[in-house]
Amino acid sequence: MSATKRRNRNPDQPRARRNTRAEQTESFANRVKLHRRIARGSASRLLETPASSLVTLFVVAVALLLPALLFGLNSNLASLLAGFQDSAQVTLYLQDGVSEVDGQEVSESLLTRIDIEDAYYVSPSQALEEFSAASGLEDLLQEMATNPLPGAIVLTPADVSPAAVDELARQLQELPQVDVVQVDSLWLQRLAAISNLVSAIGSVLAVIVILGLFFVVGNTIKLAIENRKAEIRVIKLVGGSDMYAARPFLYTGLLYGLGGGILATLLQGLVLTTFNSNLEVLMQLYESDFQLRGFGFRSALLIVVAGAAIGWAAALMASLRHIRAINP
Amino acid sequence: MIKFDSVSKRYADGREALSDISFEVSRGEFAFITGHSGAGKSTLLKLILAMEAPSSGQLIANGVNLNRISATQIAHHRRQIGTVFQDHQLLHDRSVYDNVALPLEICGYQPNDAARRVRAALDKVGLLKKEKSFPEALSGGEQQRVGIARAVVNRPSIILADEPTGNLDPGLSAEVMKVFQQFQSVGVCLLVASHDAALIERLNCRTLVLKDGKLLADQKPRPSL
Ligand SMILES: Nc1ncnc2c1ncn2[C@@H]1O[C@H](COP(=O)(O)OP(=O)(O)OP(=O)(O)O)[C@@H](O)[C@H]1O
Ligand SMILES: [Mg+2]
Repeated sequence: MSATKRRNRNPDQPRARRNTRAEQTESFANRVKLHRRIARGSASRLLETPASSLVTLFVVAVALLLPALLFGLNSNLASLLAGFQDSAQVTLYLQDGVSEVDGQEVSESLLTRIDIEDAYYVSPSQALEEFSAASGLEDLLQEMATNPLPGAIVLTPADVSPAAVDELARQLQELPQVDVVQVDSLWLQRLAAISNLVSAIGSVLAVIVILGLFFVVGNTIKLAIENRKAEIRVIKLVGGSDMYAARPFLYTGLLYGLGGGILATLLQGLVLTTFNSNLEVLMQLYESDFQLRGFGFRSALLIVVAGAAIGWAAALMASLRHIRAINP
Repeated sequence: MIKFDSVSKRYADGREALSDISFEVSRGEFAFITGHSGAGKSTLLKLILAMEAPSSGQLIANGVNLNRISATQIAHHRRQIGTVFQDHQLLHDRSVYDNVALPLEICGYQPNDAARRVRAALDKVGLLKKEKSFPEALSGGEQQRVGIARAVVNRPSIILADEPTGNLDPGLSAEVMKVFQQFQSVGVCLLVASHDAALIERLNCRTLVLKDGKLLADQKPRPSL
């Protein structure tokens, strides 16, 4: 190549390329433009076969919905549990012989313990008053010669976890003034155990679902690659890398995951509204205004993002494997 | 630039398509490969493009040892080579323009830079007016010329052409050869498989003659008078 030729080189004129020539660098804007075009191409390909695309989308959505519902249910259970635990109380019924002054004293000494948040003494007469007011049996109770109710100390544990409450109850039972310790923690424990079980099932299910999604999306991508074998062969022949050939399929996987995730959140909303209207009737019976929650914007976003990520990763694995196998 | 050293190629069915081929083509050299149908011309080009691996012997092209080449190296190697395929190998769902732009897109050219190069390449093969057509709507000769435009668009250092003028009339064949010679004059190494004895005779280039997979003759161009 002579120097003169090089000087008045027309850009359209052929020129031998040096082997070390660095490949043209892409500007960011061009890269975005290119990727937008590839994504549009992938989307329009999905629309070319609407029926099968929709089936895949629906399968992805249902697969995402199952663990999402389970985790949602569990977070509700947990918050329900926390609500009850906040009001967890332990009642110490004192021995008959303990005077009001002694009872007061015990109550105050309990306040100094770090594992007790709050404690107050209820004298037998206060207990009677409260009971008669609450029960509406004032007339009957006034006719009784002696007060049958013992003095009591009502306390709130600092740590409301079932194990801590049980331990506290055991220790307080040792006090000489205490007759009976009453804790209603057994059903709390059961609820907590159920909550743990639900979350364990949710985790196992999530793993199964991720594997299933890899299979479903991977298989769809495999078919798509099979249909475009000739095109991939040409791309490889003119020097396109496997990753370059895979790009449209990565978008296909991403779109399936994204679309499936969005569909899953819509379905979840539907399930939730149905549940809540039934729940309302139930909760009215308990005079509670409890509502299923935790299916808000953040969890919806999580489902969509997780779906998109799984779809993309599944497509990456499948496409690289199947594209590598195509030898022109 | 391309060096065959006792290269043999045996296909999976055990038939030897090339046996003990040795020759060398350097920068700025234009060589024809000729021989009967089934002589091994396409196989020889496929070896250079790493579409097939040599069964024995040493093969080096563009400084790359093709006996030991990884998948990513293959992609990079092919980007330096412009190839005209015997069966065109066009993308049927893309326009002529997009087909020719493919190598540039793979290399990440800027769109307007790419557009200039694509139009220049299409102009060289006389297909500027067909840039929006799809390959199906083109004649065999036009498809062949799209393949030629795609082969030269990325200013390769090696051009391999398998029967590039098979579907072209003598006038167009001469045009295409002129394009090839332009590339030769700037140092590109060209290897063109062809049956066209008249064309080969007229161009007076180096000619490798294959017969049943063997290199029968390596004819140097006649000295010009
Ligand atoms: N993939 C393959 N598997 C097995 N044998 C093959 C394969 N490709 C080619 N061959 C055989 O190798 C020999 C050379 O084939 P090749 O395609 O190189 O011939 P050619 O010179 O290009 O012929 P033509 O002029 O008809 O294109 C032929 O006998 C052919 O049958
Ligand atoms: Mg051939």
